[in-house]
Amino acid sequence: MIGRRSGLIAALGTLALAIGACSPGASDGGSDSGSGAGGDVTLEVWGWRQEDAAAYKKIFATYEDANPGVTVKYVPYKADEYDTILRTGLSDANGPDVAQLRSYGLLQPLVASDSVVALDDEVDALAEFPEATLDGARGVEDGKVYGVPFALQTLHVIYNKKIFAEHGIEEPETWDDLNAAFATLKGADVTPLSATISDTWMLPIQQEIFGATTYGGHAYLDRMLAGQASFTDKPWVDSLTTWKNTSQYWEANFQGVNYADAQALFTSGQAAAFPGGVWELAVFSQANPELELGIFNVPPPPGAAATETLVPGYVDGSYGVSAKSPDKEAALKLVNWMASPEFGQAFTEQLRQISAVPEVVPTDELLAEALEAYTANPSPYVTYAYFSSGEPTAWDLASEGLSKYVLGQSSAQEAATHIQQGVDQWFKPKP
Amino acid sequence: MRRRYRPDRTPLGWIAGFTLPALVLYGLLIVVPLVTAFYYGFFRWEGTKQAEFTGLGNYQEVLTRYPLGEQIPVALWHNVLFFVGTMAIQNTIGLGLAVMLYRNPRFKRFFQAVFSLPYLISPLIVGYIWSLLLSPSFGPINHILESVGLESWARPWLGEPDTALPVLILVNAWQWIGGPMLIFLAALGGIPRELEEAASLDGASAARAFWSVRFPLLMPAVGVITVLTFIGCFNIFDLVYALGGSDGGPGGAMDVLGLLYYRTAFEGGANAIGESSALAMMIFLVIFGVSIALERVLRRREVS
Repeated sequence: MIGRRSGLIAALGTLALAIGACSPGASDGGSDSGSGAGGDVTLEVWGWRQEDAAAYKKIFATYEDANPGVTVKYVPYKADEYDTILRTGLSDANGPDVAQLRSYGLLQPLVASDSVVALDDEVDALAEFPEATLDGARGVEDGKVYGVPFALQTLHVIYNKKIFAEHGIEEPETWDDLNAAFATLKGADVTPLSATISDTWMLPIQQEIFGATTYGGHAYLDRMLAGQASFTDKPWVDSLTTWKNTSQYWEANFQGVNYADAQALFTSGQAAAFPGGVWELAVFSQANPELELGIFNVPPPPGAAATETLVPGYVDGSYGVSAKSPDKEAALKLVNWMASPEFGQAFTEQLRQISAVPEVVPTDELLAEALEAYTANPSPYVTYAYFSSGEPTAWDLASEGLSKYVLGQSSAQEAATHIQQGVDQWFKPKP
Repeated sequence: MRRRYRPDRTPLGWIAGFTLPALVLYGLLIVVPLVTAFYYGFFRWEGTKQAEFTGLGNYQEVLTRYPLGEQIPVALWHNVLFFVGTMAIQNTIGLGLAVMLYRNPRFKRFFQAVFSLPYLISPLIVGYIWSLLLSPSFGPINHILESVGLESWARPWLGEPDTALPVLILVNAWQWIGGPMLIFLAALGGIPRELEEAASLDGASAARAFWSVRFPLLMPAVGVITVLTFIGCFNIFDLVYALGGSDGGPGGAMDVLGLLYYRTAFEGGANAIGESSALAMMIFLVIFGVSIALERVLRRREVS
């Protein structure tokens, strides 16, 4: 989802598409080499994570050992270009056999074009996955599951343990603790929160982190999906206010702070905490290996709908099977394995991410803490996950509306109306 | 007698030989995508699968869907402001620089090169560098303002809706100032000195001589620059993208048609191809139509 926002080169993709150039996979016809009876099978797995290529090689080696005659090749593309390349690649047999699919709304175009196979009756292990996780790989129209979810992302306040310790601050247990902690830091001339403002895709994320308990998480979402509640109702509008009230603790001149700046403020020790996704942990440790990182979630403020400290999270992507694959059976067998604890364990160990396979515990301590907190009190990423299957998506609307809201150009109610008005054009509640 | 070049006698084969490679490339890279986009715009799409014919359905969808329908006029207005601002700042300063270099030929070559140097840098890189310079947390510009006692001037330049578009105009002018300067310089060189000498002998002041004699003769250059600026300003994408991201900066203050197209095409839903093709055709028609009209109007004002 990060890459989707930055992809100038994708423009070249359309050009290629427009002049009818052949699909990106055409130059590499590896996947049909094994379609003959009894021959060896080579499965191509496409993905958008180039940085994971080496780890996938190790992961798939175990599978190849257990399944003689099968070769699994991970073919990564640039994240920004991946969606365009995959759409083209799935339209013929030279494309992938198995592909990483984006989740929720971003998956729907592939379902609409019948590019991927429904897995409900093909992968038995999916029955063990929580419904909320399967939502990430579901076709909105038919409710079928089109991929085996591979990673969960959770949202937290990530903090610098050393700075907190220096000022005698512990992880806040209550809303008052939280405010006292931020006030102490501000009084000591440390920026309490490094907020990303000008890269607007980060705004709905921060709204979930600070506002989830105010509107009430899954309980409220269920009512929204049934048409009994909306973005413009008080609980959701109040969640915007809860979030923006923390702006007194954001960095100076926050209006112009972009994602990279906010990350740098935190990793350089100028800011004590960073509200963001669990994927930041690896990035932060790499930028500054000295950092001692901790995570916590925002306790419910007075008047919040939830009494527990909710942890927002969502499915990052899933593995699906191309409808055009000449080796569909072998591909289905592979995604069956990808739903197993063996794959999940290898995934979390090799890639330092949270596996979506149930019961798999990450070896990384912070990831394990994140997953435990999320499993105990999960909360949805409403705008990104559940209102993104039509145009305009609530995620885009929220990015626009919240941007105007934090800049003081509109009220919380107006920002909520912007989202609701856009979504009303296509969203049909299921009572 | 030496044989002279006669344009009407050039064999057709030569003409074809020289123009064909360019024509083929132009056809393949410009005309074919344009025609395909026009065609694609009449269909609904399911991902990359072409579905039923919808006539003007995509056009209607793009123009009426909230908030896209409201963003189009706003983006168009930003393009207009960007064009007006660029004409006012980049092209007048460009003309001023050209006149100064024309009057003081010393170091002319050097300054020509210096002012044209940013031409060589990709707008993406220019945008990135300026966003670093203007960053409120780490940027040197605010830092300098603060260190000379102008704290109140330090602000999130690219983060405030009021300053974002002016900053975009200035950064764009910084990059392209060399263009109008070179064209005006060449045009100034083409004006016979006698005309101005005659004017000054007749008692005209330097300013009067410039505005009454030289400027009218610069009109062809003004026309070319206006049309080029118009096309550049209405096609702008890379620099805005680098400065403000695909959402067009704070509260959409820098949102322009190019970004709107990008979002529709690459961040759109299942029917992204249909909708973005329709939007692209509308943008093309606006730019094409206005360019031709501008060209006509400016031609009429030229002095022969």
